[in-house]
Amino acid sequence: MSATCEFQAKDYKSDLKPIWCPGCGDFSVVQGIYRALAAIGRPPHEIAFVSGIGCSSRIPGYTTAYGFNSVHGRSLPIAQGIKLANPDLLVLAAGGDGDGFSIGGGHIAHLIRRNVDITYIVMDNQIYGLTKGQLSPTSQKGRVTCTSRFGSLEEPVNPLLYVLAYGAGFVAQASPTDLAGMAAVIEEAIRYPGFAFVNIQSPCVTYGEEAQQIRGLKAISESLVSLGHNPADRLAAMDLAQHYGEKMHLGVFYRNPEPAPTYDALVRERQALLSKDALPKENILDLFIKK
Amino acid sequence: MAIQGIDFANLSLMDALDLAILIEDEAQERYQDFAAQMEQHHTPEAAKFFTYMVENEAKHGRELLARRTQLFGDTPRQVKAAMIFDVEAPDFDEARAFMSAREAMAAALASEVKAHAFFESALPSIKDPDVRALFEELRIEEIEHQELVQLELAKLGKDNGVDGSAYEDEPAAQ
Ligand SMILES: Cc1ncc(C[n+]2csc(CCOP(=O)(O)OP(=O)(O)O)c2C)c(N)n1
Ligand code: SF4
Ligand SMILES: [Mg+2]
Repeated sequence: MSATCEFQAKDYKSDLKPIWCPGCGDFSVVQGIYRALAAIGRPPHEIAFVSGIGCSSRIPGYTTAYGFNSVHGRSLPIAQGIKLANPDLLVLAAGGDGDGFSIGGGHIAHLIRRNVDITYIVMDNQIYGLTKGQLSPTSQKGRVTCTSRFGSLEEPVNPLLYVLAYGAGFVAQASPTDLAGMAAVIEEAIRYPGFAFVNIQSPCVTYGEEAQQIRGLKAISESLVSLGHNPADRLAAMDLAQHYGEKMHLGVFYRNPEPAPTYDALVRERQALLSKDALPKENILDLFIKK
Repeated sequence: MAIQGIDFANLSLMDALDLAILIEDEAQERYQDFAAQMEQHHTPEAAKFFTYMVENEAKHGRELLARRTQLFGDTPRQVKAAMIFDVEAPDFDEARAFMSAREAMAAALASEVKAHAFFESALPSIKDPDVRALFEELRIEEIEHQELVQLELAKLGKDNGVDGSAYEDEPAAQ
Protein backbone atom coordinates (compact mmCIF):
# COMPACT_ATOMS: atom_id res chain seq x y z
CA MET A 1 0.00 0.00 0.00
CA SER A 2 1.31 3.43 -0.77
CA ALA A 3 0.14 7.02 -0.70
CA THR A 4 3.25 9.02 -1.19
CA CYS A 5 2.16 11.69 -3.66
CA GLU A 6 -0.89 13.88 -3.53
CA PHE A 7 -3.73 13.17 -5.92
CA GLN A 8 -6.28 15.56 -7.32
CA ALA A 9 -9.85 14.82 -8.32
CA LYS A 10 -8.88 14.96 -12.01
CA ASP A 11 -6.43 12.09 -11.52
CA TYR A 12 -9.39 9.74 -11.06
CA LYS A 13 -11.22 10.90 -14.19
CA SER A 14 -10.83 8.60 -17.17
CA ASP A 15 -10.80 9.63 -20.83
CA LEU A 16 -14.05 7.82 -21.48
CA LYS A 17 -16.91 10.28 -22.07
CA PRO A 18 -20.07 9.49 -20.09
CA ILE A 19 -23.03 8.59 -22.25
CA TRP A 20 -25.57 9.45 -19.52
CA CYS A 21 -28.38 11.77 -20.57
CA PRO A 22 -27.27 15.38 -20.08
CA GLY A 23 -28.24 16.53 -16.59
CA CYS A 24 -28.40 12.98 -15.14
CA GLY A 25 -27.70 12.93 -11.40
CA ASP A 26 -25.00 10.33 -11.97
CA PHE A 27 -22.74 13.13 -13.30
CA SER A 28 -22.71 14.58 -9.80
CA VAL A 29 -22.01 11.20 -8.19
CA VAL A 30 -18.93 10.60 -10.29
CA GLN A 31 -17.68 14.08 -9.31
CA GLY A 32 -18.31 13.24 -5.64
CA ILE A 33 -16.33 10.02 -6.06
CA TYR A 34 -13.39 11.83 -7.73
CA ARG A 35 -13.25 14.28 -4.83
CA ALA A 36 -13.53 11.57 -2.17
CA LEU A 37 -10.79 9.47 -3.79
CA ALA A 38 -8.51 12.51 -4.01
CA ALA A 39 -9.05 13.11 -0.29
CA ILE A 40 -8.20 9.46 0.45
CA GLY A 41 -5.12 9.72 -1.76
CA ARG A 42 -4.73 6.08 -2.87
CA PRO A 43 -3.31 5.78 -6.39
CA PRO A 44 -5.87 4.63 -8.99
CA HIS A 45 -4.12 1.28 -9.53
CA GLU A 46 -4.79 0.38 -5.89
CA ILE A 47 -8.54 0.82 -6.33
CA ALA A 48 -11.00 -1.73 -7.71
CA PHE A 49 -14.44 -0.46 -8.68
CA VAL A 50 -17.18 -2.98 -9.41
CA SER A 51 -20.70 -2.36 -10.65
CA GLY A 52 -23.70 -4.30 -11.92
CA ILE A 53 -25.77 -3.23 -14.92
CA GLY A 54 -27.74 -0.03 -15.30
CA CYS A 55 -27.07 3.57 -16.31
CA SER A 56 -25.47 4.13 -12.91
CA SER A 57 -23.40 0.97 -13.25
CA ARG A 58 -21.39 2.57 -16.04
CA ILE A 59 -19.62 4.61 -13.37
CA PRO A 60 -16.40 2.56 -12.93
CA GLY A 61 -15.50 3.24 -16.58
CA TYR A 62 -15.44 6.96 -15.93
CA THR A 63 -12.76 6.56 -13.29
CA THR A 64 -9.11 5.60 -13.62
CA ALA A 65 -9.50 2.81 -11.05
CA TYR A 66 -9.57 -0.82 -12.19
CA GLY A 67 -13.21 -1.31 -13.12
CA PHE A 68 -15.60 -4.17 -13.69
CA ASN A 69 -19.04 -3.34 -15.16
CA SER A 70 -20.25 -6.83 -14.32
CA VAL A 71 -23.61 -8.61 -14.27
CA HIS A 72 -26.96 -7.16 -13.23
CA GLY A 73 -27.26 -7.36 -9.44
CA ARG A 74 -23.93 -9.06 -8.88
CA SER A 75 -21.56 -6.24 -8.00
CA LEU A 76 -21.38 -7.20 -4.33
CA PRO A 77 -20.30 -10.86 -4.57
CA ILE A 78 -17.70 -9.88 -7.16
CA ALA A 79 -16.45 -7.02 -4.97
CA GLN A 80 -16.27 -9.42 -2.05
CA GLY A 81 -14.21 -11.87 -4.09
CA ILE A 82 -11.79 -9.13 -5.08
CA LYS A 83 -11.42 -7.94 -1.49
CA LEU A 84 -10.74 -11.46 -0.23
CA ALA A 85 -8.24 -12.18 -2.99
CA ASN A 86 -6.40 -8.92 -2.47
CA PRO A 87 -7.32 -7.25 0.83
CA ASP A 88 -4.86 -4.42 0.20
CA LEU A 89 -7.06 -3.01 -2.55
CA LEU A 90 -9.56 -0.27 -1.84
CA VAL A 91 -12.77 -1.84 -3.14
CA LEU A 92 -15.81 0.15 -4.21
CA ALA A 93 -19.10 -1.25 -5.49
CA ALA A 94 -21.84 0.80 -7.09
CA GLY A 95 -25.07 0.50 -9.01
CA GLY A 96 -28.69 1.48 -9.21
CA ASP A 97 -31.69 0.95 -6.97
CA GLY A 98 -32.85 -1.87 -9.24
CA ASP A 99 -29.42 -3.48 -9.36
CA GLY A 100 -28.98 -3.26 -5.59
CA PHE A 101 -32.44 -3.81 -4.14
CA SER A 102 -34.25 -5.87 -6.75
CA ILE A 103 -32.16 -8.51 -8.51
CA GLY A 104 -29.17 -7.97 -6.19
CA GLY A 105 -31.12 -7.42 -2.96
CA GLY A 106 -30.21 -10.81 -1.52
CA HIS A 107 -26.49 -10.12 -1.49
CA ILE A 108 -26.54 -7.05 0.72
CA ALA A 109 -27.47 -8.90 3.90
CA HIS A 110 -24.53 -11.28 3.55
CA LEU A 111 -21.91 -8.61 2.96
CA ILE A 112 -23.27 -6.77 5.97
CA ARG A 113 -23.25 -9.77 8.30
CA ARG A 114 -19.71 -10.63 7.19
CA ASN A 115 -18.65 -7.01 7.45
CA VAL A 116 -16.63 -7.12 4.24
CA ASP A 117 -14.54 -3.96 4.03
CA ILE A 118 -16.01 -2.39 0.92
CA THR A 119 -17.97 0.78 0.20
CA TYR A 120 -21.26 0.30 -1.59
CA ILE A 121 -22.78 3.31 -3.36
CA VAL A 122 -26.34 3.08 -4.64
CA MET A 123 -27.48 5.70 -7.13
CA ASP A 124 -31.11 5.71 -6.20
CA ASN A 125 -33.34 7.26 -8.87
CA GLN A 126 -36.49 5.27 -8.04
CA ILE A 127 -36.65 3.89 -11.58
CA TYR A 128 -35.03 1.46 -14.00
CA GLY A 129 -33.27 4.06 -16.11
CA LEU A 130 -31.29 1.98 -18.56
CA THR A 131 -34.24 -0.16 -19.64
CA LYS A 132 -36.34 2.97 -20.18
CA GLY A 133 -38.42 3.70 -17.16
CA GLN A 134 -39.92 0.66 -15.47
CA LEU A 135 -40.99 0.48 -11.84
CA SER A 136 -38.04 -0.09 -9.48
CA PRO A 137 -38.06 -1.40 -5.90
CA THR A 138 -37.71 2.15 -4.56
CA SER A 139 -40.46 3.68 -6.77
CA GLN A 140 -43.16 5.17 -4.59
CA LYS A 141 -46.61 3.62 -4.34
CA GLY A 142 -48.94 4.97 -7.00
CA ARG A 143 -46.12 5.73 -9.45
CA VAL A 144 -47.20 5.51 -13.06
CA THR A 145 -44.58 3.94 -15.33
CA CYS A 146 -44.62 1.79 -18.46
CA THR A 147 -44.92 -1.27 -16.21
CA SER A 148 -47.49 0.29 -13.87
CA ARG A 149 -49.91 2.05 -16.19
CA PHE A 150 -52.53 2.57 -13.48
CA GLY A 151 -50.08 3.31 -10.68
CA SER A 152 -47.90 1.00 -8.62
CA LEU A 153 -49.68 -1.06 -5.96
CA GLU A 154 -46.46 -1.77 -4.04
CA GLU A 155 -44.84 -0.11 -1.07
CA PRO A 156 -41.24 0.86 -1.88
CA VAL A 157 -38.19 -0.71 -0.29
CA ASN A 158 -36.56 1.67 2.18
CA PRO A 159 -32.83 1.22 1.42
CA LEU A 160 -31.71 2.98 4.58
CA LEU A 161 -33.84 0.90 6.95
CA TYR A 162 -32.96 -2.22 4.97
CA VAL A 163 -29.24 -1.94 5.61
CA LEU A 164 -29.64 -0.61 9.16
CA ALA A 165 -31.86 -3.55 10.05
CA TYR A 166 -29.22 -6.01 8.81
CA GLY A 167 -26.64 -4.29 11.01
CA ALA A 168 -24.56 -2.23 8.56
CA GLY A 169 -21.82 -0.39 10.44
CA PHE A 170 -21.89 2.72 8.28
CA VAL A 171 -24.98 4.17 6.62
CA ALA A 172 -25.22 7.57 4.95
CA GLN A 173 -27.24 9.47 2.38
CA ALA A 174 -26.24 12.18 -0.08
CA SER A 175 -27.60 14.05 -3.08
CA PRO A 176 -26.42 16.41 -5.83
CA THR A 177 -27.89 19.31 -3.86
CA ASP A 178 -24.70 19.23 -1.78
CA LEU A 179 -21.65 17.96 -3.66
CA ALA A 180 -19.20 18.73 -0.87
CA GLY A 181 -21.39 16.81 1.57
CA MET A 182 -21.61 13.92 -0.91
CA ALA A 183 -17.82 13.77 -1.28
CA ALA A 184 -17.40 13.95 2.50
CA VAL A 185 -19.74 11.01 3.21
CA ILE A 186 -18.17 8.89 0.46
CA GLU A 187 -14.76 9.63 1.94
CA GLU A 188 -16.00 8.71 5.42
CA ALA A 189 -17.57 5.53 4.08
CA ILE A 190 -14.27 4.50 2.47
CA ARG A 191 -12.41 5.20 5.70
CA TYR A 192 -14.87 3.12 7.73
CA PRO A 193 -13.30 -0.28 8.49
CA GLY A 194 -16.06 -2.55 7.22
CA PHE A 195 -19.13 -2.59 4.99
CA ALA A 196 -20.24 0.98 4.36
CA PHE A 197 -23.39 1.95 2.51
CA VAL A 198 -24.11 5.30 0.85
CA ASN A 199 -27.52 5.92 -0.72
CA ILE A 200 -27.31 8.76 -3.20
CA GLN A 201 -30.45 10.34 -4.56
CA SER A 202 -29.40 10.70 -8.16
CA PRO A 203 -32.23 12.13 -10.26
CA CYS A 204 -33.10 10.53 -13.59
CA VAL A 205 -33.89 13.55 -15.75
CA THR A 206 -35.41 11.39 -18.49
CA TYR A 207 -37.77 9.07 -16.62
CA GLY A 208 -37.84 10.63 -13.15
CA GLU A 209 -40.66 12.73 -11.79
CA GLU A 210 -40.47 16.47 -11.25
CA ALA A 211 -40.41 16.17 -7.45
CA GLN A 212 -37.34 13.93 -7.68
CA GLN A 213 -35.29 16.47 -9.60
CA ILE A 214 -32.79 18.76 -7.88
CA ARG A 215 -35.31 21.52 -7.19
CA GLY A 216 -37.67 19.02 -5.59
CA LEU A 217 -34.86 17.47 -3.55
CA LYS A 218 -33.73 20.85 -2.27
CA ALA A 219 -37.23 21.49 -0.93
CA ILE A 220 -37.14 18.40 1.31
CA SER A 221 -33.42 18.26 2.18
CA GLU A 222 -32.28 18.51 5.76
CA SER A 223 -28.76 17.88 7.03
CA LEU A 224 -28.50 15.36 9.86
CA VAL A 225 -25.84 17.52 11.51
CA SER A 226 -28.23 20.47 11.64
CA LEU A 227 -30.80 18.19 13.34
CA GLY A 228 -28.23 17.40 16.05
CA HIS A 229 -28.35 13.69 15.17
CA ASN A 230 -25.79 11.52 16.96
CA PRO A 231 -24.48 9.04 14.34
CA ALA A 232 -23.47 6.58 17.08
CA ASP A 233 -27.15 6.12 17.99
CA ARG A 234 -28.46 3.30 15.82
CA LEU A 235 -32.06 3.51 17.02
CA ALA A 236 -32.19 7.25 16.36
CA ALA A 237 -30.78 6.50 12.90
CA MET A 238 -33.57 3.98 12.27
CA ASP A 239 -36.13 6.47 13.44
CA LEU A 240 -34.85 9.09 10.99
CA ALA A 241 -34.49 6.54 8.20
CA GLN A 242 -38.24 5.90 8.36
CA HIS A 243 -38.74 9.24 6.61
CA TYR A 244 -37.10 7.98 3.41
CA GLY A 245 -39.21 9.19 0.51
CA GLU A 246 -40.79 12.13 2.38
CA LYS A 247 -37.69 13.90 3.67
CA MET A 248 -34.18 13.97 2.32
CA HIS A 249 -31.90 13.57 5.31
CA LEU A 250 -28.32 14.16 4.23
CA GLY A 251 -25.22 12.96 6.05
CA VAL A 252 -24.28 10.02 8.25
CA PHE A 253 -27.20 8.13 9.78
CA TYR A 254 -25.08 5.57 11.57
CA ARG A 255 -21.41 4.92 12.23
CA ASN A 256 -20.74 2.01 14.55
CA PRO A 257 -18.40 3.40 17.23
CA GLU A 258 -16.99 -0.09 17.77
CA PRO A 259 -16.68 -1.67 14.34
CA ALA A 260 -16.61 -5.46 14.27
CA PRO A 261 -13.56 -7.15 12.73
CA THR A 262 -13.80 -7.30 8.97
CA TYR A 263 -14.36 -10.58 7.13
CA ASP A 264 -11.25 -9.99 5.05
CA ALA A 265 -9.13 -9.63 8.20
CA LEU A 266 -10.67 -12.76 9.73
CA VAL A 267 -10.04 -14.77 6.57
CA ARG A 268 -6.42 -13.61 6.55
CA GLU A 269 -6.05 -14.61 10.19
CA ARG A 270 -7.52 -18.03 9.52
CA GLN A 271 -5.27 -18.50 6.51
CA ALA A 272 -2.22 -17.63 8.59
CA LEU A 273 -3.28 -20.09 11.27
CA LEU A 274 -3.97 -22.97 8.89
CA SER A 275 -1.05 -22.35 6.60
CA LYS A 276 1.36 -23.58 9.27
CA ASP A 277 0.10 -27.14 8.82
CA ALA A 278 -0.86 -26.81 5.16
CA LEU A 279 0.73 -28.84 2.41
CA PRO A 280 3.22 -26.86 0.34
CA LYS A 281 1.55 -25.59 -2.83
CA GLU A 282 3.61 -27.82 -5.09
CA ASN A 283 2.31 -30.94 -3.28
CA ILE A 284 -1.33 -29.94 -3.28
CA LEU A 285 -2.31 -32.53 -5.88
CA ASP A 286 -1.17 -35.27 -3.52
CA LEU A 287 -4.42 -34.73 -1.66
CA PHE A 288 -6.33 -36.07 -4.64
CA ILE A 289 -3.96 -38.72 -5.93
CA LYS A 290 -4.01 -42.13 -4.40
CA LYS A 291 -0.49 -43.24 -3.89
CA MET B 1 -26.36 27.33 -3.69
CA ALA B 2 -24.79 26.45 -0.36
CA ILE B 3 -22.00 27.82 1.76
CA GLN B 4 -20.44 26.16 4.75
CA GLY B 5 -18.31 27.46 7.59
CA ILE B 6 -17.59 30.92 6.14
CA ASP B 7 -17.38 33.64 8.76
CA PHE B 8 -18.04 36.69 6.59
CA ALA B 9 -17.58 39.09 9.51
CA ASN B 10 -13.97 38.02 9.94
CA LEU B 11 -13.07 37.14 6.38
CA SER B 12 -9.58 38.34 5.39
CA LEU B 13 -8.89 39.77 1.93
CA MET B 14 -6.77 36.75 1.03
CA ASP B 15 -9.55 34.33 2.02
CA ALA B 16 -12.12 36.43 0.17
CA LEU B 17 -10.01 36.37 -3.01
CA ASP B 18 -9.47 32.62 -2.64
CA LEU B 19 -13.20 32.06 -2.21
CA ALA B 20 -13.93 34.12 -5.31
CA ILE B 21 -11.40 32.03 -7.25
CA LEU B 22 -12.99 28.80 -6.02
CA ILE B 23 -16.41 30.07 -7.09
CA GLU B 24 -15.11 30.79 -10.60
CA ASP B 25 -13.29 27.43 -10.72
CA GLU B 26 -16.44 25.56 -9.79
CA ALA B 27 -18.52 27.37 -12.41
CA GLN B 28 -15.83 26.79 -15.02
CA GLU B 29 -15.72 23.08 -14.22
CA ARG B 30 -19.53 22.75 -14.41
CA TYR B 31 -19.72 24.53 -17.76
CA GLN B 32 -16.92 22.33 -19.02
CA ASP B 33 -18.92 19.29 -17.94
CA PHE B 34 -22.05 20.68 -19.65
CA ALA B 35 -20.15 21.46 -22.87
CA ALA B 36 -18.82 17.88 -22.94
CA GLN B 37 -22.32 16.50 -22.33
CA MET B 38 -23.70 18.58 -25.19
CA GLU B 39 -20.91 17.53 -27.55
CA GLN B 40 -21.46 13.90 -26.64
CA HIS B 41 -25.17 14.32 -27.40
CA HIS B 42 -24.76 16.10 -30.71
CA THR B 43 -26.01 19.48 -29.52
CA PRO B 44 -23.29 21.77 -30.92
CA GLU B 45 -25.04 25.13 -30.38
CA ALA B 46 -25.50 24.59 -26.64
CA ALA B 47 -21.99 23.09 -26.45
CA LYS B 48 -20.57 26.20 -28.11
CA PHE B 49 -22.33 28.50 -25.67
CA PHE B 50 -21.24 26.47 -22.63
CA THR B 51 -17.66 26.58 -23.95
CA TYR B 52 -17.99 30.36 -24.20
CA MET B 53 -19.02 30.36 -20.52
CA VAL B 54 -16.00 28.19 -19.65
CA GLU B 55 -13.76 30.83 -21.24
CA ASN B 56 -15.54 33.67 -19.42
CA GLU B 57 -15.25 32.00 -16.03
CA ALA B 58 -11.63 31.03 -16.72
CA LYS B 59 -10.74 34.60 -17.67
CA HIS B 60 -12.31 35.99 -14.53
CA GLY B 61 -10.62 33.31 -12.44
CA ARG B 62 -7.22 34.18 -13.94
CA GLU B 63 -7.69 37.89 -13.16
CA LEU B 64 -8.56 37.11 -9.56
CA LEU B 65 -5.61 34.73 -9.24
CA ALA B 66 -3.21 37.38 -10.57
CA ARG B 67 -4.44 39.81 -7.93
CA ARG B 68 -4.19 37.23 -5.20
CA THR B 69 -0.63 36.34 -6.21
CA GLN B 70 0.40 39.98 -6.38
CA LEU B 71 -0.96 40.69 -2.90
CA PHE B 72 -0.26 37.46 -1.07
CA GLY B 73 2.22 35.50 -3.16
CA ASP B 74 1.97 31.78 -2.63
CA THR B 75 0.80 31.91 0.98
CA PRO B 76 -1.15 28.64 1.41
CA ARG B 77 -4.88 28.85 0.85
CA GLN B 78 -6.95 28.68 4.04
CA VAL B 79 -10.40 28.25 2.53
CA LYS B 80 -11.53 24.97 0.99
CA ALA B 81 -13.56 24.09 -2.09
CA ALA B 82 -16.02 22.30 0.22
CA MET B 83 -17.03 25.67 1.72
CA ILE B 84 -18.95 26.68 -1.38
CA PHE B 85 -21.33 24.85 -3.63
CA ASP B 86 -23.15 25.98 -6.75
CA VAL B 87 -22.66 29.70 -6.01
CA GLU B 88 -22.16 30.54 -9.68
CA ALA B 89 -22.32 27.05 -11.17
CA PRO B 90 -25.68 25.94 -12.55
CA ASP B 91 -27.38 22.95 -10.88
CA PHE B 92 -26.28 19.59 -12.26
CA ASP B 93 -29.66 19.00 -13.90
CA GLU B 94 -29.72 22.31 -15.82
CA ALA B 95 -28.17 20.49 -18.78
CA ARG B 96 -30.78 18.71 -20.88
CA ALA B 97 -30.67 16.50 -23.93
CA PHE B 98 -30.99 18.55 -27.12
CA MET B 99 -31.36 21.83 -25.27
CA SER B 100 -31.34 24.85 -27.55
CA ALA B 101 -28.73 27.59 -27.30
CA ARG B 102 -31.51 29.77 -25.88
CA GLU B 103 -32.18 27.26 -23.07
CA ALA B 104 -28.44 27.00 -22.38
CA MET B 105 -28.25 30.79 -22.10
CA ALA B 106 -31.28 30.91 -19.82
CA ALA B 107 -29.58 28.40 -17.50
CA ALA B 108 -26.39 30.50 -17.44
CA LEU B 109 -28.35 33.70 -16.86
CA ALA B 110 -30.14 32.17 -13.86
CA SER B 111 -26.75 31.19 -12.45
CA GLU B 112 -25.34 34.70 -12.81
CA VAL B 113 -28.43 36.01 -10.99
CA LYS B 114 -27.78 33.43 -8.26
CA ALA B 115 -24.14 34.54 -7.93
CA HIS B 116 -25.20 38.17 -7.70
CA ALA B 117 -27.62 37.26 -4.90
CA PHE B 118 -24.79 35.49 -3.06
CA PHE B 119 -22.48 38.53 -3.03
CA GLU B 120 -25.35 40.84 -2.17
CA SER B 121 -26.53 38.73 0.75
CA ALA B 122 -22.97 38.40 2.13
CA LEU B 123 -22.24 42.16 2.03
CA PRO B 124 -24.08 43.25 5.21
CA SER B 125 -22.04 40.82 7.36
CA ILE B 126 -18.64 41.93 6.07
CA LYS B 127 -16.63 44.25 8.33
CA ASP B 128 -13.25 44.53 6.62
CA PRO B 129 -13.39 47.50 4.20
CA ASP B 130 -11.10 45.82 1.62
CA VAL B 131 -13.20 42.66 1.60
CA ARG B 132 -16.32 44.80 1.32
CA ALA B 133 -14.88 46.61 -1.67
CA LEU B 134 -13.99 43.29 -3.29
CA PHE B 135 -17.46 41.83 -2.76
CA GLU B 136 -19.04 45.07 -4.08
CA GLU B 137 -16.88 44.74 -7.17
CA LEU B 138 -17.75 41.05 -7.61
CA ARG B 139 -21.44 41.82 -7.18
CA ILE B 140 -21.25 44.42 -9.96
CA GLU B 141 -19.29 42.01 -12.15
CA GLU B 142 -22.09 39.47 -11.85
CA ILE B 143 -24.42 42.10 -13.32
CA GLU B 144 -21.94 42.60 -16.15
CA HIS B 145 -21.89 38.83 -16.72
CA GLN B 146 -25.68 38.85 -16.91
CA GLU B 147 -25.43 41.57 -19.55
CA LEU B 148 -22.94 39.48 -21.51
CA VAL B 149 -25.32 36.54 -21.58
CA GLN B 150 -28.20 38.83 -22.51
CA LEU B 151 -26.12 40.13 -25.39
CA GLU B 152 -25.65 36.57 -26.63
CA LEU B 153 -29.37 35.96 -26.26
CA ALA B 154 -30.11 39.04 -28.33
CA LYS B 155 -27.86 37.74 -31.11
CA LEU B 156 -30.06 34.66 -31.47
CA GLY B 157 -32.75 34.71 -34.05
CA LYS B 158 -36.36 33.90 -33.25
CA ASP B 159 -36.84 30.61 -31.41
CA ASN B 160 -37.54 27.82 -33.88
CA GLY B 161 -40.21 26.49 -31.56
CA VAL B 162 -38.66 23.02 -31.45
CA ASP B 163 -39.12 21.30 -28.13
CA GLY B 164 -35.81 19.56 -27.36
CA SER B 165 -37.42 17.14 -24.91
CA ALA B 166 -39.34 15.58 -27.82
CA TYR B 167 -35.97 14.34 -29.13
CA GLU B 168 -34.62 13.14 -25.83
CA ASP B 169 -31.72 10.81 -26.18
CA GLU B 170 -32.31 7.48 -24.61
CA PRO B 171 -29.69 5.37 -22.92
CA ALA B 172 -28.26 2.38 -24.73
CA ALA B 173 -29.66 -1.02 -23.77
CA GLN B 174 -27.34 -3.66 -22.35
C1 LIG C 1 -30.04 -10.69 -15.44
C2 LIG C 1 -30.57 -9.45 -16.07
N1 LIG C 1 -31.85 -9.13 -15.88
C3 LIG C 1 -32.35 -7.98 -16.39
C4 LIG C 1 -31.54 -7.15 -17.11
C5 LIG C 1 -32.11 -5.89 -17.72
N2 LIG C 1 -31.74 -4.72 -16.95
C6 LIG C 1 -30.64 -4.01 -17.26
S1 LIG C 1 -30.43 -2.70 -16.28
C7 LIG C 1 -31.86 -3.03 -15.43
C8 LIG C 1 -32.36 -2.15 -14.31
C9 LIG C 1 -31.65 -0.86 -14.21
O1 LIG C 1 -32.14 -0.13 -13.11
P1 LIG C 1 -31.18 0.37 -11.96
O2 LIG C 1 -30.39 -0.73 -11.41
O3 LIG C 1 -32.02 1.12 -10.98
O4 LIG C 1 -30.15 1.32 -12.70
P2 LIG C 1 -30.37 2.73 -13.42
O5 LIG C 1 -30.36 2.41 -14.88
O6 LIG C 1 -31.65 3.30 -12.96
O7 LIG C 1 -29.19 3.53 -13.01
C10 LIG C 1 -32.47 -4.17 -15.92
C11 LIG C 1 -33.72 -4.74 -15.41
C12 LIG C 1 -30.18 -7.51 -17.29
N3 LIG C 1 -29.31 -6.73 -17.92
N4 LIG C 1 -29.74 -8.66 -16.75
S1 SF4 D 1 -32.11 7.33 -18.36
FE1 SF4 D 1 -32.10 8.42 -16.42
S2 SF4 D 1 -30.59 7.33 -15.15
FE2 SF4 D 1 -30.22 6.75 -17.30
S3 SF4 D 1 -28.65 8.19 -18.04
FE3 SF4 D 1 -30.67 9.02 -18.56
S4 SF4 D 1 -31.15 10.39 -16.87
FE4 SF4 D 1 -29.53 9.04 -16.14
MG1 LIG E 1 -32.47 3.15 -10.98
